Amino acid sequence: MNRLLIIVFIGLIGVLYSITYKSSTDIRVISKRINVSELGLEDILSRLGDKPLNHRLVTFDDSKAQIGLELIKYGKTSKQKSKRISKHFVCTDCHNLGREFEELSDDSAENRLEYARKNGLNYLPGSTFYGIYNRTSFYNDDYIKKYGNLVDNARDTLENSIQLCAKYCSSGRYLESWEVEAIMHYFKKTELKLRDINLTENQLKNVLNSQKMNSEEKSELVSMIKSKYSQSYSAHFKPTMDRNDRKYGEGGDVENGKAIYNSSCLFCHYDKRVTYLNLDETQITAQMFWRNIESYTDKSLYQIIRYGTYAKTGRKQYMPLYTDEKMSDSQINDLVAYIKQLAGK
Amino acid sequence: MKIVITLLLCSSTFIVKSQDALETFNETRILNAHSNETLKKKILQFRIEHRFGDMAGSAGGAQEFFGFDNAADIRFAFEYGVTDKLMIGLGRSKGTGAPYRSLVDGFVKYKVLEQNKAKQIPVGVSLFGASTITYMKANEDLSLVQSFPKFSHRMTYVSQAIISRKFNDRFSMAILPTYVHRNLVLANDINGLFSCGAAISLKITKGFGILGEYFYNFHDNEIRTEFKNSLSAGLEWLTNGHNFKLVITNAKGFNEVQYIAGNTSDWSKGQFRLGFSISRNFKL
Repeated sequence: MNRLLIIVFIGLIGVLYSITYKSSTDIRVISKRINVSELGLEDILSRLGDKPLNHRLVTFDDSKAQIGLELIKYGKTSKQKSKRISKHFVCTDCHNLGREFEELSDDSAENRLEYARKNGLNYLPGSTFYGIYNRTSFYNDDYIKKYGNLVDNARDTLENSIQLCAKYCSSGRYLESWEVEAIMHYFKKTELKLRDINLTENQLKNVLNSQKMNSEEKSELVSMIKSKYSQSYSAHFKPTMDRNDRKYGEGGDVENGKAIYNSSCLFCHYDKRVTYLNLDETQITAQMFWRNIESYTDKSLYQIIRYGTYAKTGRKQYMPLYTDEKMSDSQINDLVAYIKQLAGK
Repeated sequence: MKIVITLLLCSSTFIVKSQDALETFNETRILNAHSNETLKKKILQFRIEHRFGDMAGSAGGAQEFFGFDNAADIRFAFEYGVTDKLMIGLGRSKGTGAPYRSLVDGFVKYKVLEQNKAKQIPVGVSLFGASTITYMKANEDLSLVQSFPKFSHRMTYVSQAIISRKFNDRFSMAILPTYVHRNLVLANDINGLFSCGAAISLKITKGFGILGEYFYNFHDNEIRTEFKNSLSAGLEWLTNGHNFKLVITNAKGFNEVQYIAGNTSDWSKGQFRLGFSISRNFKL
């Protein structure tokens, strides 16, 4: 009898343990099993009671993420029969895949360029895909001027943003659902981790002990975490600078300008990689820019950077514009200073 | 693992400046001849090329509006970049009628070497091979080439090495050793002809340049008494996706078989003409 009681007792303990184990998978328990700094922010925020992301993926499949990466880099995948998304662009022509700021809450053009220079990144017109999964708003601010009502459904939904980008920004086609899914899995894979947002030791301790907090404290914690990274990147278009306001490189930082020319202009134009216009670091090329520097046409750096060109029937290839956040007026002056020097003026 | 991920991320965003002699010539042609350049992968180019009649001499002058009333040759072609180094093309020419009309040409060009200072490669070398076939109606007069007793007589072949060098931002040069073979020729001609071309390009601005081209034929002047070397000069305008050339040349026809081996026009007799070529690129 006693033996039977002991077995029932042990069984009950087992059942209770399994129930408590499931219901208390808080951050502290998780932290005992895995490295907490590797936890995704989405997971942490949802455990702190934050509203789930619209595009939340409940499960993650690495093989889909691999396909997603192929689609992003090459516009097609070798693992499944698919048609190229666009014959003009791939995602990485405009978007980096890695981190672009020291502080992820930052969005200043100056700091972005400094980080790009330090880490050998390209300085591109689109925001990085790194941490895009943790963002909640896309095609922000002035992008409505370029894409009109098309941005309405894309602004709060990452999947729709992907479709808008594939069809219109890359002059391609709408994606199949499996393609969107694969890209979403890649985004999930590269979502921000706790380690990415540079928490202090105390802040990290608070996160670990969050199961003891009341809802108000948890809400504060959510706000603190969210203040550490950008949920949406601002995007403000600027008109072509008035001829009289242009500095024509005066006081510009030539080294900065050279870095911009190499990491922005040449990334697409060198050896006609993406376009038909070949650019290089020769005097004859710089003279082409310098000769047109005062104009209000596509040939002027002041205009082409701010307006880009537009895809039109028969010519779907175009140049995207740089918003003020992606290239500041001061950086354009740096670029012009470099071009002026290269042109021998 | 982190290194692998970093490399993976960087691989998509790294500019490979593999060459230091981009655009030795602005496009795939110099004037009549091919340049060392090939179309980039998956670029389809449509070309329209035209040569007018003699500007001066007995067949030119004001009566013929300096050749604009006549068309010496017209070529339409589709050309395509299979890889960044390999291109192919298929064209159709009116033909000068001396001796061929209705020519269809096909060619392959491959960039074997690219000029590169770092790798100590002083010149670029491209190899070019072409063949033409005429589908003109055979003439009953067996004394003419156009009688085409055998089908193979309708065919011609060209092999060429295009050795180019970009000396600086503005000046480039090419040497073009060429062999042209025709299966049937008259007694005053030879089947296999060696020729060597020389061409220059001087870019005044990024989008505008001057071109020159000359082919010297290694032949016995006592046999090939009627034939002349081709000499051409031209201007070139380059825009985004377009290339426009204005040519003045004594050669009437397109394709090496016509402008190298079959050229009988003489500059000194006013037998030179204007011509143009326009190309438009499409991404496939």
